[in-house]
Amino acid sequence: MKKDNIKEGETIEIETNSEKIKGVVIPSADKNKTVIKLESGYNISFEKKDIKKINILKKETRKEEIKKQEIKFNKELKTISVLHTGGTIASVVDYTTGAVVAKFSPEELIKMFPELREIANIKSRFIRNIMSENMRFAHYNLIAKEIEKEIKEGTEGIIITHGTDTMHYTAAALAFMLEGTPIPIILVGAQRSSDRGSSDSFMNMISAAHFITKTDFAEVGICMHSWISDESCFILPATKTRKMHTSRRDAFRPINTKPWAKIHENGRVEFLNKDYNKRGERKINIKPFKPNLKIGILKGHPNMHAEEINAYKKFDGLILEILGIGHMPTVTIDEFTKEHKKILESIRKLAKRTVVGVAPQTIYGEVNMNVYSPGRALKEAGVVGNYCDMTPETAFIKLAWLLSNYKKEEAKEMFEKDLRGEISKKISPDEFLI
Amino acid sequence: MKEEIGLKIGLEVHQRLESHKLFCNCPSIMRDDKPDIVVKRRLRAVAGEKGEVDIAAKFEMEKGLEYIYEGYTDTTCNVEFDEQPPGKLNMNAVKTALEIAMLLNAKPVNEIIFMRKTVVDGSNTTGFQRTALIAREGYIETTQGKVGIECVYLEEEAAKNVKGEETSRIWRVDRLGIPLIEIQTKPEIKTGEHAKETAEQIGMILRSTGKVKHGIGSIRQDINMSIKNGERVEIKGFQDLRSIPKVVEYEVKRQLEIIKQGKKVDKEVRKANPDNTTEYMRPMPGSARMYPETDVVNTEITKEMIKNIKLPELLTERAMKLEKKYNVNADLAREIIKEEIDIESYTKKFKNLEASFIMRTLIETPKEVKTRLKKEIENVKRENIEMVLEVIDKGEIPKSAAIEILAEIAEGKELDLKKYKTASINEIEKEIRKVVEENKGAPFNALMGEAMKKLRGKADGKVIAELIKKLQ
Repeated sequence: MKKDNIKEGETIEIETNSEKIKGVVIPSADKNKTVIKLESGYNISFEKKDIKKINILKKETRKEEIKKQEIKFNKELKTISVLHTGGTIASVVDYTTGAVVAKFSPEELIKMFPELREIANIKSRFIRNIMSENMRFAHYNLIAKEIEKEIKEGTEGIIITHGTDTMHYTAAALAFMLEGTPIPIILVGAQRSSDRGSSDSFMNMISAAHFITKTDFAEVGICMHSWISDESCFILPATKTRKMHTSRRDAFRPINTKPWAKIHENGRVEFLNKDYNKRGERKINIKPFKPNLKIGILKGHPNMHAEEINAYKKFDGLILEILGIGHMPTVTIDEFTKEHKKILESIRKLAKRTVVGVAPQTIYGEVNMNVYSPGRALKEAGVVGNYCDMTPETAFIKLAWLLSNYKKEEAKEMFEKDLRGEISKKISPDEFLI
Repeated sequence: MKEEIGLKIGLEVHQRLESHKLFCNCPSIMRDDKPDIVVKRRLRAVAGEKGEVDIAAKFEMEKGLEYIYEGYTDTTCNVEFDEQPPGKLNMNAVKTALEIAMLLNAKPVNEIIFMRKTVVDGSNTTGFQRTALIAREGYIETTQGKVGIECVYLEEEAAKNVKGEETSRIWRVDRLGIPLIEIQTKPEIKTGEHAKETAEQIGMILRSTGKVKHGIGSIRQDINMSIKNGERVEIKGFQDLRSIPKVVEYEVKRQLEIIKQGKKVDKEVRKANPDNTTEYMRPMPGSARMYPETDVVNTEITKEMIKNIKLPELLTERAMKLEKKYNVNADLAREIIKEEIDIESYTKKFKNLEASFIMRTLIETPKEVKTRLKKEIENVKRENIEMVLEVIDKGEIPKSAAIEILAEIAEGKELDLKKYKTASINEIEKEIRKVVEENKGAPFNALMGEAMKKLRGKADGKVIAELIKKLQ
């Protein structure tokens, strides 16, 4: 038997100089190695050069397909459409090979989250299977179109499963695009994959379903853990939420605001902010993105160079993550800071040709470019975003969306106006580090 | 009889290593003080390899339990709470595991591949235990011949169960992630007595590395056993290795009884009780419990790594050397090694004393205080014994006073060493002359007894005997 002629999932016997050993073939990342899963469940690898002979004992045994359970429609329950875009939440490991596979069909979803059946009638389909770092504006348009389709078919709420890395960008994008959504649209992710007993996906998913079916809320929101315990989830505002931790379950935090609601373990909904649009009050009007727009984000930092700004000269727009309350290194104060004058000129030039918006790299708080003179210099150079408290991510999405749908001068003006709750009317002392 | 019933025993030994945690830098410290962070979780049974939910996992799931995890913000971190993926693999633990594997004559694997072993009893915040195969196919020598070592694993210790309540279980994560070695023998152990010996032998090998944890719970032995027409049963929770033979005997009886009644023995995990009987604990976990730990990269075991491992001398070998070198009995030598006493440093410190006397005073004299003088010896510390050795070394008190001084320390009395001061040869002679005159014509032994009574703790027997012979 040729060594390379084995397939994943086959039961084989490997013969080396010292022993014979049985196992199931597992995909190997290293071409020079053969990996098998022993009967004990452990994987073991062999250098191909050390293998004398391989005997195939049993051809690949594919797992039986899950029996297609008939999922009955329950007239008493609302209908939720679950649209999958990929990411950790819908991914489970293939236990035979160790590869991650996605589960999307309603049957598979109900198998993963059996409680959903008691909360709502579930429609489930998949749009794209991508990790969220691969999202582009065109994907936002695709998701919006699918949402529109579901709304037309009469669904009463939508859950979008999404990778968490850019979930807050997508949430903001949907909030801007779906003007006047008549139903709740909740993005749900997971920080631990659903094949783990400890996954947060179960509670996030079930909490989102409870929230959709129990309230008259009709906005775009995000549903994730409120803390690292499996005790409650937050419904977070689409334009004012940020992923603030690489790995914690409660990584998504509201910025300069409170969550819309807290969903307790038993499904009870506790509203923390009732200032939302209600179900059925509005008509949807989709304003998509121009997929080819080039918008950048640039962070201000010490020892900056004008070239960094100039790199964006062919872009359609730029978000400057400004320092502190509203500054960039734009003032020449001594022999070391001659570059700063050039930086200011570069910003001025760019702001004249396109739109340069600002957002605070402090994440929290409002931009105020009037407090110190470098801020005033920026304002005078033509950047927009004064008195705004948008996160850099929301500012980025907003600028792209504005430039997709409005003329440059209109976009500049609208950047500083609150359109989807992205700019706070007021920020309370208790709205920091929630 | 054993052969007729087809008794087969395999042993699983778990041993904690003396190192920081396996996948984070937290210290492997277990604490009893009040935890300052508490997290609540629910674990769900997830479909296993064959699309089936693992039986053991389902059993726990059906109980509908929630789990409380307690920790300490200064000695545990996000990794224990499953809020951060595993960090860099602790290579010291890997080295110790390889050292142990080699002492067990096992062959290391080419690369360490960490797996996730599903556990839904709540003992891991992740819902699985990270575990890796380190070596296979080894053996140890026993009086009954070789016992094969199936595998050596390196894994994470589970969280500690603090309190069990009906709807909630409390675990403490200070223990979670301590590097743990699992050694699995082949089912080649013949009797309960043989199982005990094998367990002792493995324990000795582990301690020989000097890199394993000591103390209650730091080593655990589980037994897998079956008889003809029976089923494999796993027995956990042995308090003492000495109970293994009895537990095996009772379990054989139990299974024979079930078979006699024409019933089937259940494949299950049982718990050893203090009276050596066993009771049902949970179903035997299925084999559909393992999948790759994708958050940890594989670690190649290079020839270089193997070459750099220095194997320690086994404790038994060290004891044998002591026995020969200082001409002491085997038990004493073993105890000295077990207590990790560096006898060379003692002989350097107390130049006038013989090594065998130092050893006896350190090990046997306190025992004698307990058994012969019937005194509790909690108060007798190593430093007390060292103090006694020091004054004897200086010639201030005779050797024979050691036990009396330790007895007084045991009783918590204020010490008055003057009482034991070695008498001058003149004083001794005067005392003995008196004894000889008062007991004229008495035989040597009687005189010796009388003189010893008078001079106990003040003069050595050897000196007394010589003087009696001279003056008699």
